[in-house]
Amino acid sequence: MRAQFRSRIRLVLTFIAFGALLILLRLYFLQIVHGADYAQKEADQQFASGGSGLFDRGSIYFTRKDGTLISAATLATGFLVAINPQTMTDPEAAYAAITAVASSTLSHDAFIAAAAKKSQVYIEVAHHLSDADGQRLAALGIPGVQVLRENWRYYPGGSLAAQTIGIVSYGQGNTLSGQTGLEAFYNDTLSRSDNSLYTNFFAELFSNVGNLLVNARDAREGDIVTTIEPEVQTRLEDDIAKVNQQYSSDDSGGIIMDPTTGAIIALTAYPTYDENALQNVDPTLLGNPLVEHVHEFGSIMKPLTMTSALDAGVITPQTTYDDTGCITVNMSKICNWDFKARGVIPMEQIILQSLNVGASWVATQLGQDKFRAYFTELFGQKTGIDLPNEGHALLSNLSAPEQVDYDTAAFGQGIAITPIQMIRALAAVANGGILVQPHLVSAIRLDSGITRTLDWNQTTRVFSATAAHETTKMMTDMVDTVLENGRAIIPTMSVAAKTGTAQLTKPGGGYYTNRFFHSFVGFFPSYNPRFIILLYTDNPKHVEYASETLDTTFLDLVHFLINYYHVPPDRGVATTTPS
Amino acid sequence: MRNFHLPLLSICAGTVGVLLVVYIGLIAVVMSYAALTVEFSQSVKNDEAAVAVLETQYLASVESITNTNYLAEGYAIPIAQIFVPARSVTALR
Repeated sequence: MRAQFRSRIRLVLTFIAFGALLILLRLYFLQIVHGADYAQKEADQQFASGGSGLFDRGSIYFTRKDGTLISAATLATGFLVAINPQTMTDPEAAYAAITAVASSTLSHDAFIAAAAKKSQVYIEVAHHLSDADGQRLAALGIPGVQVLRENWRYYPGGSLAAQTIGIVSYGQGNTLSGQTGLEAFYNDTLSRSDNSLYTNFFAELFSNVGNLLVNARDAREGDIVTTIEPEVQTRLEDDIAKVNQQYSSDDSGGIIMDPTTGAIIALTAYPTYDENALQNVDPTLLGNPLVEHVHEFGSIMKPLTMTSALDAGVITPQTTYDDTGCITVNMSKICNWDFKARGVIPMEQIILQSLNVGASWVATQLGQDKFRAYFTELFGQKTGIDLPNEGHALLSNLSAPEQVDYDTAAFGQGIAITPIQMIRALAAVANGGILVQPHLVSAIRLDSGITRTLDWNQTTRVFSATAAHETTKMMTDMVDTVLENGRAIIPTMSVAAKTGTAQLTKPGGGYYTNRFFHSFVGFFPSYNPRFIILLYTDNPKHVEYASETLDTTFLDLVHFLINYYHVPPDRGVATTTPS
Repeated sequence: MRNFHLPLLSICAGTVGVLLVVYIGLIAVVMSYAALTVEFSQSVKNDEAAVAVLETQYLASVESITNTNYLAEGYAIPIAQIFVPARSVTALR
């Protein structure tokens, strides 16, 4: 009996040892003999369609002025063509049939080389065929040619708001995901974790009842609705492109925002790219310079210096100072743009005539500590805009003890700010002293059917309403009396604005005397603003002042917005005759 | 009193038969459901793609209108502009 038991144990042990040997042998072949092949297969997997189903992703929408949603990013559907070299009998005929319907395919030599790879069974040779073309090719029934359903990301606007919408591509892994812009920032909302179409309903029912009742995915995944108005965006892009081309600038940009809510209506930078043709795009264009790059903005900083001093109570609009044309501070010379003295003049003239000496005088009255406190509150933190890679302002000059650094910062030199930070700060002047949170997405339409409105109401008061109002009046007078020598006035609409011209920094330190950064900010109606506009153009050629490059663009946008949104008059007579 | 005899084997066989039919039915329902869902989903995707084509045309026409130089087309600048208060039709406010 005992001997019989032992022999059985031995038998079982023999089977186990044999099994282990087989496993080891299999592992040896998998990892050592065919290891390189499997590694290559994994590397090739990115070129093959995933086995988990068709690509799916939520949409991004523009919002027209009447609330209609227009797709900014959606899915296109069609077919891809793959070949199976093992079953392909006539590669030349297959190539001819495929190229007859596919606009983009492999070259003839590459196709024939692919067809010769008899060890492979699946090689994709053409993508993005229309429904009709795909079905026509499939009907031919060519041996070794497979026509498969395919979805891909499609941007109906092409280059419209490209740097804001962003792109989808393969990142670190083998899955498509948002890489820039809103596609990246809202990737968790837009991406689809799996394709529920292929889920067995009954298996799902019995395996996870909770998921059917409250699906966490449905509460997270959805479409996003932006505040971008497509027609305003088109207009802004057109105007900015014209400026950049006319003056051969390095780059240009613009933002139109609701100053009371922070909702961005249009946002563009030039040069840009076509989102549907990414093959030859310069990678440096893929980011968004309006939130990532910093600039010394020049004199559009003066309204902020003025409002800070008015808010602190160190000056009033009636305060006067003696403008000598040039002053020397810490051994550095600061001069007005035309080097001319104005004599004893009130504060408003600093804005109207854009006087650097005056802005420096105001900064001195404010004092270093208060100046630093105001500007740190305005620019010390990121705005929190819903775009990736937001940049930091460079404010290190405001930590120095030399007064000259504060004086130059007062007219926008020596400190560098992102355009989005700049428009947020200037919106605080427009809206009565409140820092709003700039944002691009107003709501998320969840797959569960619920529309979740996003809360962007985190605001901070930085100026008193009185101080903001007094600066607004100065900026309005600038448009009414100075801009285009007073011809820019709109009798029925108050418009506040300020131009800025900054010298560009040299790579090794110091400033160029013949290279400039032009900026322009304005809002209207002045005392109950609906729109604030920030424009800039970097290194325009053969022109010195922003009033020459950007005033026409600004006024074009103002008139367009008044007409497009039917903004009612806020002052003056009802009829005017343009000159 | 009559003596009822329960044929256990027959009952078990009958139950298994019924369960088998139900199981096959469920499989058929699931497969039909999956096929219909895929079909409807693809139909929705096709419609969305068709809408995207229309949206492309709309945005292209907006761009064309924006780029049009009306002076070059023979239109003149208005000699007068009349501003009248109008109800805002925007979604912003």
